[in-house]
Amino acid sequence: MIVALCSTGTALNADLDSRFGRCSYFLFYNTDDSTFHAVENEARHAEGGAGSRAVQEIADNRAEAVIAPELGPQAMDALNRLGIPAFRQGKTLNADTVIKEWQDGKLERQEKASVQEMHRA
Amino acid sequence: MRVAVLSGKGGTGKTTVSTHLAALNPDALYMDLDVEEPNGDLFLKSEWIDEIPVTVSYPEVDEELCTHCRKCSVFCQFNALIVAPAMTIVLKEICHACGGCAMVCPEDAISYGERPVGEIQKGTAVTGNTVISGAMTPGEYSGVPVIKKALTLAVEYDMTVIDSPPGTSCTTVASLEGCDLALIVTEPTPFALSDMKMVVEMLRTMDMSMAVIVNKTGLGDDEVYGYCRDENIPVIGEIPFSRELAEAYAEGEMLSQMKPDIKKVLEGVWERVQAESIK
Ligand code: SF4
Ligand code: SF4
Repeated sequence: MIVALCSTGTALNADLDSRFGRCSYFLFYNTDDSTFHAVENEARHAEGGAGSRAVQEIADNRAEAVIAPELGPQAMDALNRLGIPAFRQGKTLNADTVIKEWQDGKLERQEKASVQEMHRA
Repeated sequence: MRVAVLSGKGGTGKTTVSTHLAALNPDALYMDLDVEEPNGDLFLKSEWIDEIPVTVSYPEVDEELCTHCRKCSVFCQFNALIVAPAMTIVLKEICHACGGCAMVCPEDAISYGERPVGEIQKGTAVTGNTVISGAMTPGEYSGVPVIKKALTLAVEYDMTVIDSPPGTSCTTVASLEGCDLALIVTEPTPFALSDMKMVVEMLRTMDMSMAVIVNKTGLGDDEVYGYCRDENIPVIGEIPFSRELAEAYAEGEMLSQMKPDIKKVLEGVWERVQAESIK
């Protein structure tokens, strides 16, 4: 299966990005054959809806799980409806470490949006 | 003439000033567009005669017809549609109801539903003023649709006083559509001044004429006057701080039954408002 991550670079040992919709790159890691690829996040400068744009990217790359920083309400709602589970990357710094933690079942599930990420139009 | 009463933050006396300005001119329409927290009725105690629901449309996707081609998602500049390989979802709250997605869908899979986002009440205040008051449904993402709808109901009045949302949000901007003058109510404190500066900047980008009322004078410092002088914004009224006034506000009593000197300040403001907006 493919898991999506938010990173600051294109390598598997790249630092994770602390922003979801506005991260620099998405990493897609395939657990079946341990391959991965990076996609630049073109929506990171979007005025609005960057979170849902990110979910579109994740769906386009057929990811079935997401390891992410705190999610906003729109992204959380979208992932829930698509049945894609989201995990909290926590304080882990880079992609390969967090993938191991996730595979070991050490990451927490994110099911509700963080209030801090809410804002009003 | 349409004047909007604004403030940098809540609690500066914006509602007191706007309701009382309206009360001094019973022919004026009073609009409460502070849609997150409309409380002008605390003073105006209206008898409501009409209730108008506000709805916005949102797309609904017929999964039977949808081929998940992604055209709608690519089109939507607000990213309100997400097309996954086996499912298309709509994020209603961020949809701006532009109608474009249905036009680009090659399968005719998109139709529009309506959902309620707020309500507008229309009535008559104890003072005789016609009142239009908008309220957004709690938890809704934006109050802008309520404000836009309310403003369409305000066209036939010569004189309108608007209680705008505080600060510089999208709702504040929406409430200023068609206004001739923005009246900023502030307090003589450093905090109020820094909030007010943001409002002034917003109004400058909109090229809107403005004037200031300083409320609760005697409580803070004089910085606000220096600022207004430098920025060339007329201070057209000063309301001295009084305990009596604060209590009247807490109980929702109209000032017209109150101290004559305060009434005089607001009458002076009215005259200046008319003069300012003609200028
Ligand atoms: S454009 Fe129409 S057919 Fe294509 S994904 Fe959107 S709803 Fe489905
Ligand atoms: S109506 Fe416009 S804003 Fe709403 S989802 Fe369709 S394209 Fe996006």
